[in-house]
Amino acid sequence: MKKKISIAFFGLFLGIHVSAQHTHTQSDSTKHLKEVKITAIAKKKIETDMKMAVSVDEFLASSENISFIKRGAYAWEPLLNNMSTERSTLTIDGMHVFGACTDKMDPVTSYVESNDLSGINITSGQEGNMHGATVAGSIDLKRKSIPFGMERKWSGAYQSGFEFNNRQFFNLSNLSYSTERFTADGRVSFRKAGNYRDGKNDEVNHSQYNKFNTSLGLAYKTGDLSSVRVDAIYDKAKDVGFPALPMDLWLSRAIITSASYKQLFDEGLLRVWDSKVYFNAIEHYMDDTTRPENLVHMDMPGWSTTYGLLSRVHLKKDSYSSEIQANAYENLSIAEMTMYPQNRSKKTMFAYSWPWVMTRFAGLSMNNTWDISERSRLNFGGSLGWNYNRSKYVEFNWIFHPATPQEKSRILPGLHASYRLEIDQFAFSVGTGYGHRAPSVSEGYGYYIYNSFDRYDYIGNPDLKNEISYEGNASAGFRNERMGVEAKVNYFYIQNYIVGRILSLGSPMNYQSVGVKGYTSLDHARLFNLSLNANYDILRHLHWKGMLSYARATDDKKGNLPFIRPLSYQTSLYFMHRKLGVWTSVNGDFEQQKYSPEYGEDQTPAYMIWNISGDYTLNFKGYQAVLQIGAENLFNTYYSTYADWGNIPRMGRNIFTTLKINF
Amino acid sequence: MVACTKDKTDYEAEIATEVTEYVEFEEAARITVGDYDIGVEALNGTFYVGYNEVRVKVTDKQTGADMQVSSVTFLPIRKEEGGNTTSCPHRYDMNISTDENCFSGYAVFTDASRPGGNWELYISFTIDGQLYSVHQAITVEEQLNMNLNMTSFTGKDDEQYIIALVSPQRPKVGENELVAGIYRFEQPNSPPTSDFPDPSQFTYTEVSGYTLLLDPRMPEPSMGNHSSPNNVDLTQRDDGLYYGVVNYTMTGNWTLNFILQNEEGRILRGTEVPTVFTPGIEGVKSELYIDVLF
Repeated sequence: MKKKISIAFFGLFLGIHVSAQHTHTQSDSTKHLKEVKITAIAKKKIETDMKMAVSVDEFLASSENISFIKRGAYAWEPLLNNMSTERSTLTIDGMHVFGACTDKMDPVTSYVESNDLSGINITSGQEGNMHGATVAGSIDLKRKSIPFGMERKWSGAYQSGFEFNNRQFFNLSNLSYSTERFTADGRVSFRKAGNYRDGKNDEVNHSQYNKFNTSLGLAYKTGDLSSVRVDAIYDKAKDVGFPALPMDLWLSRAIITSASYKQLFDEGLLRVWDSKVYFNAIEHYMDDTTRPENLVHMDMPGWSTTYGLLSRVHLKKDSYSSEIQANAYENLSIAEMTMYPQNRSKKTMFAYSWPWVMTRFAGLSMNNTWDISERSRLNFGGSLGWNYNRSKYVEFNWIFHPATPQEKSRILPGLHASYRLEIDQFAFSVGTGYGHRAPSVSEGYGYYIYNSFDRYDYIGNPDLKNEISYEGNASAGFRNERMGVEAKVNYFYIQNYIVGRILSLGSPMNYQSVGVKGYTSLDHARLFNLSLNANYDILRHLHWKGMLSYARATDDKKGNLPFIRPLSYQTSLYFMHRKLGVWTSVNGDFEQQKYSPEYGEDQTPAYMIWNISGDYTLNFKGYQAVLQIGAENLFNTYYSTYADWGNIPRMGRNIFTTLKINF
Repeated sequence: MVACTKDKTDYEAEIATEVTEYVEFEEAARITVGDYDIGVEALNGTFYVGYNEVRVKVTDKQTGADMQVSSVTFLPIRKEEGGNTTSCPHRYDMNISTDENCFSGYAVFTDASRPGGNWELYISFTIDGQLYSVHQAITVEEQLNMNLNMTSFTGKDDEQYIIALVSPQRPKVGENELVAGIYRFEQPNSPPTSDFPDPSQFTYTEVSGYTLLLDPRMPEPSMGNHSSPNNVDLTQRDDGLYYGVVNYTMTGNWTLNFILQNEEGRILRGTEVPTVFTPGIEGVKSELYIDVLF
C-alpha cells in the first residue's frame, strides 16, 4: 500500500494530468531506455534525442507546435501555433510569471534551466486554458521532483560540456536526498558563452551570454496521503548580448518561489486536492553602454512582480474524470526609459514604457473526460476569467488615448470540446474551441516600446476589445509496432486580432525608429497549422523519424501575418546498440513565400541544416557516465530564419561535447 | 520583498526637482501713505520675469483693518539709464476681488532688475472719493521656472507683441492645459498730457480673437525632432487668456513652436517647423518659440 502511494506521489509531483491531456501532449518521449524506466510517467524529458545538454529553448524547438523569434543566442521567444507569447499562457508548474522586458527579451523560459525541468506540457488552443485565458494554448514548464523513497537515498548528476563555436562552457549539477517522509533537491548551473560565428565564420558581435541558475525544493509528507512542498528558483543572467537590438542586457534576476499542499484521497469522487501560493519577482536591466555607436545613451530597466495562487481538484468516478482549477494572480509591471542627452549636464529625459500597470486575474477552469467506450472518449470543458488592469500613471496612456479610463475589467470565457476515436491501429480526433483573451500589458498600456524588427515605436491601446478565437482541430493517426504516422491540423478564426498599425499621429521617440505604430484590432485573422509526423523502425537498432509542418495566416484583407513559419521539415535517423548511440538529422525551412513587408518582414530564403552526434555510455561501480560528441550545422551553412530579427545570421558549425555522470 | 539592484525612478520627485513652483501669495512690496499700508502680493513673495499674478491690499496702518477701496490702478515702469522709461503688459484698472478683499491684476515683466534698469510700481487708489497715488521701487528676479518663460517680438504688422506662459507651472507627462497671455503694445498717438506717468503712453492690450498655433517638439539632437500627438492650438477665453492643450511624451527639454495668427487668420509671426524625424540633428525651431523644461 505504502509503495503504491509513493508511486502515486511521484506521478502527481511530476504533474501528470491523468489522461485528460494526453491527446495533445507531444510524443518526444525519450529513447534512452534506462532513463525511461526512471521517468516512466513523465511525458517528456528535457533532452532532445540528438543533444543531451540542451537549453530550454533548444528543447522547445524540437516540438512541432513551437517556433521561435530569435534576437540572438539567448532567451528566444516561443511561438505556439505561430502565435506570439501574448496569445499563449506560459507557466512554471502552473505559476504565472511575466517577463520584465518590454521588448520580450525575457520570456519565462529564460528563467529556468533544463536540468531543473522534467518536461514541458504543450497544450494547443482552448484545451490549454486550465491556467488562464488563452488563444494559442499553453506552455507549462514542469519542474523535476524527487519521489519520497522507502529508504534514505542520495542521488545526483553532474554534467559538463563545451561548445566550440561560441566557446560555451557549461556545468549543470543536481543533488537530491530522499527518505520516506522528506525530500530535498538542489540544482546549480552555470553557462558562459562568447560571441558565436555564423556560417561565413564571421563573429556575430553582441551574442555572448552568462547565466547562473539555482533551485531548491523541499517536500515533507505530512500524512499517508498528504504532503507540503516549498520551491525556489533563482536565476541571474548577466552581460547578455542581443545582436538584433541596439542594446544589451546588463543584468536580469528572477526569484520564483512557491509553497504547495497536496492531499490525496483513497476513495470517493474527489481524488486529489492540490493548492499552491506563489510569488515571483523579476528585474531586467537593458543598457547600451556596450554600444558606443549609439547616438543617445539610454537605460531601460523593467520590473515585474507577481503574487498568485492556484487550487486544483481532480474528480473521478467510473469512466468520468474531471479536473477543476481556480487561478488568481496579481502582477505589477513597470518599465522605464531614461535617455541621456549628449551634453550630460542637461536634464535627462524620462518616460515610462509600462506606467506601473497592474493586472489582476481570477478564473475557474474545468476539463472533463468521459471514456464513452474502450475506443472513444469525449473531452470537454471551459473556463471563466475576470481580468482587471489599472495603469497608475495613466497620463502616459492619455497622450494617445485621451480620457481613456484608468481601470478596465474584462470577462474572459472559454469553451472546448473534442472527441477521440480509436479503431484498431487508427486513431482520430476532432475538436473545437471558443475563447477570449485580454490584451497584454504592452498591447494595452505600452508606451513607445521600440520594436527593432520593423523599427517602429509601439503604443498600447487600453480600449482594445478582447481577442476572440474560434478554433477547430483534427488529427488522424496510424500506429503499429514498427511505425507510426500522424497528421494534425488546426484552424483559428480570431476576431479583433491585435496588431500594430502605423499611426498618422505622433513621432518616434527612439532614435532608431522610423515611425509610431499603435496596437489596433483587425476585424479578424485566420491561422491554419498542419503537421505530419512519422516514425519507422527500419531495423531493430535503427529508427527513423520525420516531421513536416506548414502554416498559413492572413489578416482581414487577405494579407500575410508576420512570423508565420514557412513549410519546414525535420528528419532524423537514430542508431542505438548496446552502449553506443549515433544520431543524425536534417532540418530546414523552404523559401518563405508568404511574408509580410507591412510588418517589416522580407523574404527569407530556404535553408537546410545537417546535424550529427554520437554518445557512449559507461557504467562503473553504480555510476553511469554518458559521453557525447556532435556537430550542429555540420556544413557550416550561412542562414537566417524567417523569425530572426534583423536577419541576424544563425550559428555556423558548432561542435559540442558533453559528459554526464549520474549516481 | 526582494531588494532591487537598481532603484525605480521616483516619478513625482523626478518632475519636482526640475521645477520651482509658486503656489502661495506673499507680500512682495509694502508702501505706506498717510494712514494706509499698501501691500502688494505676488506668488512666492517675489516678482519674476514673465507673467506674475499681483494682488493689492490696502489696510489701516494702525489697526491693520481692511479698507473699503473703490478702485485701484496699477502701472509698472522700468527706468533705464539715460531716462528712458518703458512698461510691460499689465492690468491698469485692477479687478476687485470681494472674497479676498483685495484687488487683483498681473504684470508681465520683460526684464530682471539690474544696475541701469530698475522697476517701479505706480499705484493709485480711491478711498471715500479721495485719490491716493504712490510709487515704490521693486526687484524683479530672473525666472527660475522655464515653464513660465516669455518672448517678445515685432509682428509683421509692425506691432510689438509679448507672449507669456501662465500655466502649467509644473507640467506632467501627458496632457497639460497650456495657458498663455498675448499682449500688444499700443503706440501712443499723442505726447504725454498729464504728469508722469501718463498711462496712455504705457498701454498694453490683451489681443482678442487671435490664434496661437502650437507644435511642441524636443530639440535635443538625439530626440530627432520628436513631437507629440493630440495637441490643441490656443484660443482666447473670457478671462482674456489663451487656452490650448500640450502633450508632453516624456520629461526633458521641450520647445513650444508657435505661429501667431490675428483674428483674420493673418500670420503675424512664426514659421512651420519640419515634421520629419531627424535623429542626430537638433530640431529646427519656429521663428516664434518658447523653450520649457521639466
